[in-house]
Amino acid sequence: MKRVLTTCPYCGVGCNLYLVVGDDGRLVGVEPSVGHPVSRGQLCIKGWNAFHFVNHPDRLTHPLIRRGGRLVPASWDEALALVAGRMREIQDKHGPDSVAVFSSAKTTNEENYLAMKLTRAVFKTNNVDHCARLCHASTVAGLAATFGSGAMTNSIACVEQADLFFVIGSNTTEQHPIIGARIIQVCQNGGKLMVADNRKIRLARLADLHLRHRNGTDVALLNAMMHVIISEGLTDEEFIASRTERYEDLERLVAHYPPARAARITGLTPEEIADAARLFASADHAMIIYAMGITQHTHGVDNVRSCANLAMLTGNIGRPGTGVNPLRGQNNVQGACDMGALPDVYSGYQRVTDDAARAKFQRAWGVRGLPRDVGITSTAAIDAAAAGDLKALYVIGENPTLSHPDIRHVRTALQNLEFLAVQDIFQTTTADLADVVLPACSFAEKDGTFTSTERRVQRVRRAVSPIGESRPDWHIICEIASRAGYSGMQYDSPDAVMEEIAALTPSYGGISYSRLDGPGLQWPCPAADHQGTPVLHVGKFARGQGVFRPADYRPPAELPDDDYPFVLTTGRNYFHFHTGTMTRRSRLLHREERFPYVEISPEDARSLGIRDQQWIHVGTRRGEVRVQARVTDTAMKGVLFMPFHYVEAAANLLTINALDPEAEIPEFKVCAARVRSTP
Amino acid sequence: MKSLTLQQVQDFLRSLTSDYDVQAPIALPDGTRVLGRLDEGPLAIPGGRVDSKPTSPFFPQLDRIFAYRRGSIAMQQPVEKPLLVVGLTAEDADALTFIDEFFAAEYRDDVYFNKRDRSAVIVVSGRCGKDGGFLKIAGGDCDLEFVCDGERYVLVPYTEAGKRLAHRAPEGDEVSSIADLQAESDALPDDDRQVLERASRLLQEDRVPEEFWAEIADRCIACTACNLLCPTCTCFEVFDWTRGEQIERYRLWDSCQLAGFMREASGHNPMGEEHVRTRRRIHHKLAADRTRWGRISCSLCGRCDDVCPSGIGIKAVTREIVRRFGIEKENGPET
Amino acid sequence: MGRPPTRQQAPAPLYRPVPCTVQSVADLTPTEKLFRLVREDGRPFGHRPGQFVQVSMLGAGEAPISVSSSPTRGPYLDLGVRRAGELTGLMHEVLAPGAEVGIRGPFGTSFDTDAMRGGDVLLIAGGCGLAPMRALIQYCEDRRDEFGNVTVLYGARTPEDRLYKDDLAEWSRSPHLDCRCTVDEAPPDQQWDGNVGVITTLMPPLEVDPQRTTAVIVGPPVMYRFVISELEAKRLRHDQVIVSLERHMKCGVGKCGHCTIEHLYCCLDGPVFRLDEIIHLKGAI
Ligand SMILES: Cc1cc2nc3c(=O)[nH]c(=O)nc-3n(C[C@H](O)[C@H](O)[C@H](O)COP(=O)(O)OP(=O)(O)OC[C@H]3O[C@@H](n4cnc5c(N)ncnc54)[C@H](O)[C@@H]3O)c2cc1C
Ligand code: SF4
Ligand code: SF4
Ligand code: SF4
Ligand code: FES
Repeated sequence: MKRVLTTCPYCGVGCNLYLVVGDDGRLVGVEPSVGHPVSRGQLCIKGWNAFHFVNHPDRLTHPLIRRGGRLVPASWDEALALVAGRMREIQDKHGPDSVAVFSSAKTTNEENYLAMKLTRAVFKTNNVDHCARLCHASTVAGLAATFGSGAMTNSIACVEQADLFFVIGSNTTEQHPIIGARIIQVCQNGGKLMVADNRKIRLARLADLHLRHRNGTDVALLNAMMHVIISEGLTDEEFIASRTERYEDLERLVAHYPPARAARITGLTPEEIADAARLFASADHAMIIYAMGITQHTHGVDNVRSCANLAMLTGNIGRPGTGVNPLRGQNNVQGACDMGALPDVYSGYQRVTDDAARAKFQRAWGVRGLPRDVGITSTAAIDAAAAGDLKALYVIGENPTLSHPDIRHVRTALQNLEFLAVQDIFQTTTADLADVVLPACSFAEKDGTFTSTERRVQRVRRAVSPIGESRPDWHIICEIASRAGYSGMQYDSPDAVMEEIAALTPSYGGISYSRLDGPGLQWPCPAADHQGTPVLHVGKFARGQGVFRPADYRPPAELPDDDYPFVLTTGRNYFHFHTGTMTRRSRLLHREERFPYVEISPEDARSLGIRDQQWIHVGTRRGEVRVQARVTDTAMKGVLFMPFHYVEAAANLLTINALDPEAEIPEFKVCAARVRSTP
Repeated sequence: MKSLTLQQVQDFLRSLTSDYDVQAPIALPDGTRVLGRLDEGPLAIPGGRVDSKPTSPFFPQLDRIFAYRRGSIAMQQPVEKPLLVVGLTAEDADALTFIDEFFAAEYRDDVYFNKRDRSAVIVVSGRCGKDGGFLKIAGGDCDLEFVCDGERYVLVPYTEAGKRLAHRAPEGDEVSSIADLQAESDALPDDDRQVLERASRLLQEDRVPEEFWAEIADRCIACTACNLLCPTCTCFEVFDWTRGEQIERYRLWDSCQLAGFMREASGHNPMGEEHVRTRRRIHHKLAADRTRWGRISCSLCGRCDDVCPSGIGIKAVTREIVRRFGIEKENGPET
Repeated sequence: MGRPPTRQQAPAPLYRPVPCTVQSVADLTPTEKLFRLVREDGRPFGHRPGQFVQVSMLGAGEAPISVSSSPTRGPYLDLGVRRAGELTGLMHEVLAPGAEVGIRGPFGTSFDTDAMRGGDVLLIAGGCGLAPMRALIQYCEDRRDEFGNVTVLYGARTPEDRLYKDDLAEWSRSPHLDCRCTVDEAPPDQQWDGNVGVITTLMPPLEVDPQRTTAVIVGPPVMYRFVISELEAKRLRHDQVIVSLERHMKCGVGKCGHCTIEHLYCCLDGPVFRLDEIIHLKGAI
């Protein structure tokens, strides 16, 4: 028996846990890490079951190559040569930008760095992106513009220093459970809680104020709250004066949002909005916590900016117990962004359009001609593939045929490619379409680092040997690079990759494996003697002054009408993660939520004659799926909620491919739907 | 009675590895203490209860029941080397006697006894708790006890196996009595125990209303840790995996805090509501088991209170029960 | 309580399925099949009416299934299985005559036929509840002189959904039994000239002697309360009423904890209970 300390592979909270390895070398359980500053010996149910899928019989154990229409086993040599060869071939024919790489928020920092290096240094394109496009692209854009840094401003430990939480668009106890539970504990001891979410989530049940506003009306709500705060003189004038600029822009804009107007848009009462504003402004330490409910909209960036505006207006930033705190979904989505698995930046958000940055990376990588144009996003890549402009795609640990909006469109797009390589731990529906499938190691079989939502860079450690012939992603990526003729990606271990990252990435400058034996380091950590940064923007914003960037309310792209009278909003449940490849192969998690379902309010169910647990059809203009009805007062009248984990009834068959103009994030949170109870 | 230095204890345990699969408190890199093999990390005898489930050597999180291949079934066999589990606290040992009884009752659970039979258990107690605290002396419920007097460990055997083990220990100082330590142990406060007893009575008298459980349940995030780490929680799920030609049947720790725990194929679910599940967790330990087995099945090890992210471990909840429902409204005495 | 299980069968190792062979398979309804099994070693199962077995489909797990046949009929097990999900679906798909299947058990308590002896018995089954009840009905038929009046009431959703239609027809004709059926609804495309209405509509006209009657109820969860109040109206005491309860079961032997009702284990102390022993327990009925 052996125990290996590592980081949970599920959400961005970044709990540490011990994997227990049995005498036969297989994982047999999980034990908590008592010394870890975030988890403190506690885990949510996903963490407790994180060992389970690793040894599942469905794991991919050898490379597969499509021959005669079927995927058949092949050698690594053959598979790797084919990937490198086909990518090169296609580029030779159609130019460098005819290929793209999807990196993965499930893989390590080192692997994301390598994926972006492969894309840029070897394939000479900036077409690299990952699933942050689908979750927090709006955060990265919105907070970078206002504060100068697109990450959670504070730390998880700050929860215990806050007096008030404003949770908007985050089902925290289910999606970031350990943070959610800490909020509950603080509120038991007198902390105040305000929840803005029309689902009656667990936190809403415990809240002092629950705002059930219409989906996609957050900007109106936030603007009206700021209207009240300004008109009642509840602002933090000193903060505004000393730390921010363009306050007048905000004042001017929110003047147009008296609560009465916002009430019409949001469906709330003017009093509720005013109460919310006063409650928020009354707190010494108010913490704004948000997630996908804010970001996944065609106005996601506006939502994010509005949250930032509210925090600055009341001086709730740059101090412990305050801040604008986007909770990042994936274990390493923060890291994947930090590593530059994005079409516009290198690691550390250094812009590809910046000549100096480009020169620096050219020098370090020993290459010339790094592309200067921003690449395409993953959502745009799908459209480009459909249009025939993108010819080849290398997907690492992502499952766009379930996770992207309007998956019928995604499937057509991927089928339209000349070449698709998929690297994963299970045979996903995306891998089903691939020309080559590369079996990767899971988190339990490799070394590396993940960066949690609070910017904590921490170790992932190998506990068991690779399953079958699977190889760590970093190893595979480097092999492809060398086969594509680049000699600058040969490393003995992820450790060496981190050295390179640190050398090239100011915010990771002081990070090295030798410093990560303990609980990790929170970036910015610019130097080897720097202790990391728990709270951002103390005394000064990353960009100098914070800037107010007010936004007008814009309705979602598709609203209910007579044919499609419901709002459909999508998300996750507590037991599953994203497309369910891991959680649906974990016995207890699977047992808890076995079937696809839709939450529907008791009123709507009654008027449609639908019983709880009845199988019904939910349809939109894009498609229709069969799911179990879950009649619950969690759902508000007129709103349906559906998790997107289920391949047999994919929520993303229904969602709309409408994007935020700046962040190109899809509007997963609103589309128009109808319900059919006939069999 | 022999008394050994910590160093001698360590050497002694090491010497036993030839005959036993020794699992003792090991300090892991971040300070977590678990029951592990001696080569897994530094032995950490002092420090009180281990952070992992102390009964897991006999009832691990995942356990293979059998493997089937080409018409023949290979059932799990008794372990080759008997287990020697060191470092349970008195509370843990008490819990172990409970699950021993549970797994033996009616149908004897051989998957458990494959590990438990022939095993030996050593409790560590005395002046070696966390932050210098005193650990209650078990005075039984195990084969051998190491009672720490602050410097040395006095070996107190209770069973034949314990005597044989003690006999194999190196010669140390002889100690004639641990009476002073016993007195210190007896003087330990038992407030928690009293609260537990009172809550147990209130539950048996059905004086805790549904609304109370609903209130507690609102805070439970169903992480399952309270069950998974509890030394007397024994519930498990069973599942099969097909791996090529081999079919494997496993059991896996389960939790009554999950909605699927009792959901039937028809969708009917006797524990479908959160408050019913929350009540189950506490009621089972304090009332149901008392009715069935004649004893409360919470040994007050303290794990569920430490590990619950929402602050609703059994001590917290029973304190609340006694505070809110413990005083007879009108005439009756306090319960 | 029901009669305690016969423990002489207590197997070792506890979780080893005993190989059995499927002797025959018959369709009962569009969603239910009848499987008849014998042990490969030819030995009897030692079951009593009311007990269940754990059916092992290797690769899919185990499911508890009531024994539908009385030991007085022979050393085989009849299992009436509804296609409810994965494992039962697999049984429907792959189990043909000659197929091998693993069995553990029989487990659980049985209907206390000793206590019923000499009196009248009123057997009330709803839906799938006829599965275990059939074993008791067969037992009563085979030991007919041990009992007074034997009345069988059976309710199903529709005529087509009725289990054991051949048996029901036979029981209805039998001079030894008084067997009455009802359906919740009779769709026009299904032939039915019997009673329409829930099972309790069959009860008011019954003559029941509260001094000498034992009632047995097996059915879906919603049924119990209504039937119990009808029996109360007929002045039956709770200790004259026997129920068989269904719970989620994994081990069948009192270990896995899935089947508990307060301090009782449905697999060990049940599934057959005397009503007075459980009626006060939260969540039992
Ligand atoms: C004492 C007893 C007697 C039964 N007798 C019969 C019978 O004679 N005929 C019949 O058709 N059905 C009977 N059942 C119900 C039968 O056990 C379930 O329909 C079956 O377990 C469903 O398994 P599945 O894999 O097909 O369903 P799925 O829905 O795919 O799986 C259900 C999951 O939950 C568990 N589960 C759900 N409900 C139950 C349950 N009631 N008992 C145990 N596990 C459950 C299963 O183990 C499985 O893991 C009986 C149940 C009990 C407890
Ligand atoms: S809260 Fe997140 S990081 Fe922590 S155990 Fe759960 S899924 Fe893992
Ligand atoms: S204190 Fe908690 S974990 Fe420990 S025995 Fe009691 S219920 Fe179980
Ligand atoms: S530990 Fe706490 S939150 Fe977790 S399941 Fe138990 S009671 Fe619920
Ligand atoms: S079925 Fe396992 S305890 Fe009853």
